[in-house]
Amino acid sequence: MAVDEYLVEMSGIVKRFPNVLANDNASFSLRRGEVHALLGENGAGKTTLMNVLYGLYRPDAGEIKVYGKRVEIRSPRDAIRLGIGMVHQQFKLVPVHTVAENVILGIKEAGIILNTKKINQELSKIIESYGWKISPDSKVWQLSAGEKQQVELLKALYRKARILILDEPTSVLTPQEAAVLFQTLRKMAAEGMGVVLITHKLDEVMNVSDRVTVMRQGRTMATKNTKETSIEELVNLMVGKPLVKIKSARQIMEDKPVLEVRNLVVLNDKGLEAVRKVSFKLYRGEILGVAGVSGNGQQELLEAIAGLRKVVSGKVLLDSTDLTNRQPYEIIDAGIAFIPAEALRFSAPDMTVAENLMLKAYRTPEFSKNILINSKKFEARAKELIEKFNIVTPSTRNKAGNLSGGNMQRLVLARELETLPNLRVILGAYPTRGLDIASTENIHRYLVEKSQQGVAVLLVSEELEELMELSDRIMVMYRGEIVGTLSRGQYDTETIGLMMTGVKKVEVQV
Amino acid sequence: MAIRLERRLEIPRRLSAAISAFFIVLAIIAASLIFELLSVSSYETLSKILYVFTTPATLLQAVLRGLPLGFAALGLCLAFKMNFWNIGADGQIYMGMMAATGIVLMHVYYELIPPPLVLPAMVFASFFAGGLYCAIPAFLKSRLGVNEILPTLMLNYVAILFVDFLIYGPWRDPKGFGFPLSVPFPEYARLDSFLGHTAYVGFPAAVAVAAVLYGLLQKTTVGFEMRVLGQNVEAAKYAGVRVGRTLLTGSLIAGGLAGVGGLVLVSGIIGRLRPRASPGYGYTAIIIAFLAGLNPWLALPASIFFGGLIVAGDVIQATLNLPFAAVQIFQATIFLMIILGEFFKRYRVRLVK
Repeated sequence: MAVDEYLVEMSGIVKRFPNVLANDNASFSLRRGEVHALLGENGAGKTTLMNVLYGLYRPDAGEIKVYGKRVEIRSPRDAIRLGIGMVHQQFKLVPVHTVAENVILGIKEAGIILNTKKINQELSKIIESYGWKISPDSKVWQLSAGEKQQVELLKALYRKARILILDEPTSVLTPQEAAVLFQTLRKMAAEGMGVVLITHKLDEVMNVSDRVTVMRQGRTMATKNTKETSIEELVNLMVGKPLVKIKSARQIMEDKPVLEVRNLVVLNDKGLEAVRKVSFKLYRGEILGVAGVSGNGQQELLEAIAGLRKVVSGKVLLDSTDLTNRQPYEIIDAGIAFIPAEALRFSAPDMTVAENLMLKAYRTPEFSKNILINSKKFEARAKELIEKFNIVTPSTRNKAGNLSGGNMQRLVLARELETLPNLRVILGAYPTRGLDIASTENIHRYLVEKSQQGVAVLLVSEELEELMELSDRIMVMYRGEIVGTLSRGQYDTETIGLMMTGVKKVEVQV
Repeated sequence: MAIRLERRLEIPRRLSAAISAFFIVLAIIAASLIFELLSVSSYETLSKILYVFTTPATLLQAVLRGLPLGFAALGLCLAFKMNFWNIGADGQIYMGMMAATGIVLMHVYYELIPPPLVLPAMVFASFFAGGLYCAIPAFLKSRLGVNEILPTLMLNYVAILFVDFLIYGPWRDPKGFGFPLSVPFPEYARLDSFLGHTAYVGFPAAVAVAAVLYGLLQKTTVGFEMRVLGQNVEAAKYAGVRVGRTLLTGSLIAGGLAGVGGLVLVSGIIGRLRPRASPGYGYTAIIIAFLAGLNPWLALPASIFFGGLIVAGDVIQATLNLPFAAVQIFQATIFLMIILGEFFKRYRVRLVK
C-alpha cells in the first residue's frame, strides 16, 4: 500500500479532561476516496478525537500525520491550511448573511475588495455539480436545516478541503434530506476526498461508509471494512456485549381516553403560535409517538399539557377533568409526569441527588407530615431509586449538578416514573437523547413496563426507529400542526419522513 | 496574553484557609498603611483593635452592636437562598425601628397598650413592618416579573426619608428642646431592662432564630420549596412549587428579621428613634450573609466580628482622635479584603496565551 494513500494517520492520541480520559491511546486513519464512519456511543470520544484533528484541542500525547507528513495542528486555522474541513453538529453560520458571504467569511485570500461575481460563479459551479438547490445569493435564515448543512459543505469545498469531518450530520435532518446528504458524501469520496462521518447510528454506517472505526470509552476498538462486518459485530464492539431487543406486543385501547387534547393553541417564547389547533386522544396503556423535526411545536405541546406554558385556546382533559391552564402542582397531583428534554433546565443543581429525586414527591404524605419532611424515608427511597435506575453517584447527598448527563437523565426518569403518587400519563420529550445504547434500552423497557400497567405515554422523539419500535400509533407534527396519525403496521420511514416535511398523509398514500 | 477567570468546582479546605489567611494579612498591612498615612502608630492602633476582641466587656459590646446586623443577615440568608436579591434590608431595618417606636408612642401618648404588652407588641409590629416592606418588591416580582434589585434598593431611601419626616415632624419629642429625636423609650420598652444587657436577651434570641431558620430550610416542605426556587425558577414551577406564595412567605420572614434588627437598634442600643439611626447596617448585612455562605449558623459569628469592627472604630476614634471618615476607611478596607478573599475562593485566575 502506497504511503500517500493515507490522508490522515493518527496514532496513540491521548486527551485528558478534568476527571475524564476522553481519548485513551486512540488511533485512526483516513484513506483517499473513502467515507470512514467513526462509530461509538455518546461520550465514547469520537468528537474529541476529531476536534484534535481539527485543532480545537491539543492532544496530551500522540502523533498526527497528514498526507504522510508529521504535523502539529495548533488551531483550526492550521487545520484549514492543511485542507481539513469540519461540519459541526450546530451550524456555525450567520443567518442574516447570504450563502456566499458565509462561505467567504474568514478566508484571507478573498482580499479586502470582494470579487462577488467571480465568487458567485465559482460557488454556483460547485452547487450545480452536486445537484443542490441553494443559490449563493439566498439568505441563510431562509434555508432549511438540510440546506444550511449544504452551505457548511460548500464552505469546505470552496476552501478546497481534501479531508472533511462531519459530526452527527443527520441529527437535524429528515430521512429524505439525509439521503441527499449521503449521495453528496459518496460523490465527494469518488472525487478523491476523505470523509469522516461521526455517528452513533448503525444504519448510516452500513449504508454509506467504506470503513468503520468503533470507539468505546475513549479507545478505538477496531477498524473494519464495512462490507466485511455486521450490525451485530459493531454493537458488540460499541457496547461490549450483545443486546437483547425487547418485544413490545401489548394489549391496549380501552375505549376511554385517559388524556384528551382538543384544539390546543400554544405560543412559543417569541409569542408566535407553536402549537396550532392540535387535537388527539391518548388511551390507557397506549404509547403514542410524536414524530417531527425538533422545533415543530412538540416541546411547547408537552409543556402546555404539563402546565408550564399557557394554553391560549383549546382544552386539556384528564379522565374528562379539565386541566387546562391549571397550576403545575395540580397537574402533577392528577398524575401527569413530564420527562423534559433538557434535564438540567428543570433541576436544582446545587441540591442533593436525593432532593432532586424527591423534587415532586416531597409534599406527599409519604414523605412529609404537615410541613415536616421525613428525611429518613427520603433518603431510603432515594437509595432504592439510585439502585434500580443505575444512577452512578458517590452518595445520595452528592450534588445533582455533579452528575454526568446520562446519570442526570436517569435521575429524572427515576423521579418521573416512580415518585408520582398517582401516575396516569407520562409525557416524554426526547427521553433517550444523548444516552448510550444500554441505557436507551433500559428506558424503553421502563416505558413499556409502565404502559403495561395501564399508564399512557406520549413520547416525543427524533429517532424514528425508537418511535416505530415502541409506539402503538405515531402522530407526525409539522409547524405546530398534526399532519397525520399512523397506526402500527402502517409505519415506514419514507412515509413518516415525507409527513415530517408537511406532506399530508392522504397525499402520501396516493 | 489574557487574564481568564475560571470558576472553581470544589475548593480544598487547606487552600480555602490559606486564602483567608493571606487576605487577613493583606488587610492588616493595608490598614497599617492607612494609619501610618494618618500619622498614628499602626502598632498601637492594631493592638487596640485586637483588645476589643479579647476583652470580655468590649466583646459583649461587639455582640450587642452585631445584633442588628445579625438579625438582618439571618433574614438575608433566607432571601438569598431563594435567589431573592434583597438589597433593601436597610429600609426594612428603618421600618422596624419606625414600627417599634410607633408602638411606644401609642403607649406614651394615648395609653392604648398596657405596659407589660408594650415590648411584645413592639417585636410583633417591627417584624411585620419590615416583612411587609420586603413583601412589596416580592409581590411585584411574582405578579409582574419586576426584578427585585432596584425596588428593594430604592425603598431604602423611601424608608430613611420617611423616618426623617416623622422625627422632624409629628414624632419629635415635645420636651426635647427641638432636637430631632423621639421621646426616650420607657424602661419596659427597652431590651436591656430584662437581664441588664440587651445582648443577654438578644443573643439567645438570635441563636433561636438561626436554629428555626436552619430547621425551616432543611427540614420542612416550605424550606424545600424555597431552596428549589432559589436554585432554578423553572425547576420550581416544574416541581409544582407555588412560586408566588413561596416568595411572599420567604420575603415576609426575611424582611421581618431585618425589622427586628431595627427594633434592637432603637430599643436595645439607642433607646429612642433618631434620624439615620442605621448607617447602612442593611448593606453590611449583605456582606455578612455572603461571608457566612448563607448558612444561618455562620451568620452569627460573622455579625459579632462586624459588630467588633464597629466597636473598634469607636475606640480608635475616641482614643486616637481620628476623624470618623478614617474609621470608615479602615472598616471598608477590611470589608474589601474579605470580599476579595471570598472571590478568590470561588474563582481561579489564569493567564492564557
